[in-house]
Amino acid sequence: MKKWLMSVLLCCGVLVGCSEKTYEPREIVSETDVCKICNMSIVHNAYAGQIALKNGDYEMFDDIGCLMEYMKANGEDVVGAAYIKDAAKNEWIDVINAVYVYNKDYWTPMNYGVVAFDSKEAAQEWMTTEGEGQLLDYKDLHDFKWGIHK
Amino acid sequence: MKKIGMALLFFLFMSQTVYADFDVQEAINVAKPGEIVHIPAGRYRGNFIVTKPITLQGEEGTELIGESDKPALRIENTTNVSVENITLSGKSKAIVVSNVDGLKLRKLQMKDVHTGVHIQRCKNVRIQEINVTGIEDHYSQKGNGLAVYKSEDITIEGNTIEQVQDGIYVEEVKRIVVQRNKVTSSRYGTHLMYTSDAKALFNTYVHNVTGLMIMMTTDILLENNTIANHFDFNGYGMLLFDVQQAKIKHNTIKNNRTGVAMQKSSTIQIETNDFQMNQTALEGTKVSNDTLASSNNFTGNILTARSDQQGFQLKNNYYDDYSGIDLKDNGVGDIPYVAVSSFGQWMVRQPVYQYFVASPSVLLLTSLDQQINKTEKNMLVDHTPKLAMKYVQEKNKMNVVQMLVGLFLALSSLWLWKRGITE
Repeated sequence: MKKWLMSVLLCCGVLVGCSEKTYEPREIVSETDVCKICNMSIVHNAYAGQIALKNGDYEMFDDIGCLMEYMKANGEDVVGAAYIKDAAKNEWIDVINAVYVYNKDYWTPMNYGVVAFDSKEAAQEWMTTEGEGQLLDYKDLHDFKWGIHK
Repeated sequence: MKKIGMALLFFLFMSQTVYADFDVQEAINVAKPGEIVHIPAGRYRGNFIVTKPITLQGEEGTELIGESDKPALRIENTTNVSVENITLSGKSKAIVVSNVDGLKLRKLQMKDVHTGVHIQRCKNVRIQEINVTGIEDHYSQKGNGLAVYKSEDITIEGNTIEQVQDGIYVEEVKRIVVQRNKVTSSRYGTHLMYTSDAKALFNTYVHNVTGLMIMMTTDILLENNTIANHFDFNGYGMLLFDVQQAKIKHNTIKNNRTGVAMQKSSTIQIETNDFQMNQTALEGTKVSNDTLASSNNFTGNILTARSDQQGFQLKNNYYDDYSGIDLKDNGVGDIPYVAVSSFGQWMVRQPVYQYFVASPSVLLLTSLDQQINKTEKNMLVDHTPKLAMKYVQEKNKMNVVQMLVGLFLALSSLWLWKRGITE
């Protein structure tokens, strides 16, 4: 009986170990959260980003440009999940699935002019009120030249 | 008695809601270019707009109150506009100025506003003696005191700003002077971004999260400012991020979590400043080799300097914890001052370690560091530390009278002694 019990417990342990770890975004604490890259405190939540690291830590960012700089510097291997705020709904969305719009005149905390949305429709709607922009996806952000553009 | 009380209460409440009859917008509309529009004392509710070169002049008790979420006053697409001696209030921005060449804002009061003044795409702007008091809330819920975007030739002087997000926010501006302002109880005292040719002089920044936040900016002079009491978890006296060519001179930087922090910056000269009672006086990460801190006074700081592997140069500073001697009597210590501290380096990587900064174990570690690091030759080493804040070399003076009296006494003693022997 003892052997059976041990076997069951062992199997449970193995299954738990093999299951994929999930990473949930956490809320911004404006009092203490600062951007990991530029050190600005995060007060414009609609543009904020965060990375849930595989070791359980979170890194917060005030702008998608800072988040991408962190990715470039540290590699994606340490990243469990990365989230960016939907600029229209102010909700966390996965950076990989997000749709981005760039216009040099869009204001963002670092003035990079790139904002994120959960769908193409939401991005189109944004452009009707805020001005036409260039649609980008996550892959495009890797080659994007971050900085202000004249 | 009851009736009198009711009457008094009636006048008390009604006096807050009475608005003047004078039509401000009509007066603006009929004014010819160059004219002065006098606005008599009274409370005027509306969203007023100026699109011609005129002066709006109020008097004591003149108040413009913005309606709904729109600015109380907009100034657009014109030249040479002045606004003075007016109080502005409302839920949104007090004044928004766009595309104006030649703007003077003077002696304005703004209270309980989300944002004080918002200026964009303007030239030749002078903002003087404005008082901005933001709403009572967390700074993340507020706007800026004075904000300037994409403009040129700006002077901001003599203003008092409190309880806003950033006292003075400057983005993409060429040639700006920020002087004799006082910013308190806000997120950043002055926040410069993507700006060039900027000067911050004689300002006072107290009790903000950070006094001066300078980002992606080139060619700046920060001189004679007083920056104190920024001791929040993320507080800095000054933080320079991605800054090139900065001179930081004659400032008093005291009682901050970190006095001056530099990140990704190059060609920074920090000289003749007083660093007093900061948790860490100077911090540098990814700064270039030509960054130099010279002729500064470091007194009462827990950590003098900390950096990553690159470090920065220290030269001819005064350190109150320097224990060397000066046998050459030239005012400079004979052995180098080594600011490297293991704990300081750890604190750069993990800011939460700051809470252990004065613990017995850290003090012991620092003492050990001071012995071990004597062999350190390059990183955070000052080879010419000053022994006093102001070194005055005493000249050898000769007192002729004293010398003659001494000589006389010596010869007399010798004569008496010789006489004693011979007799």
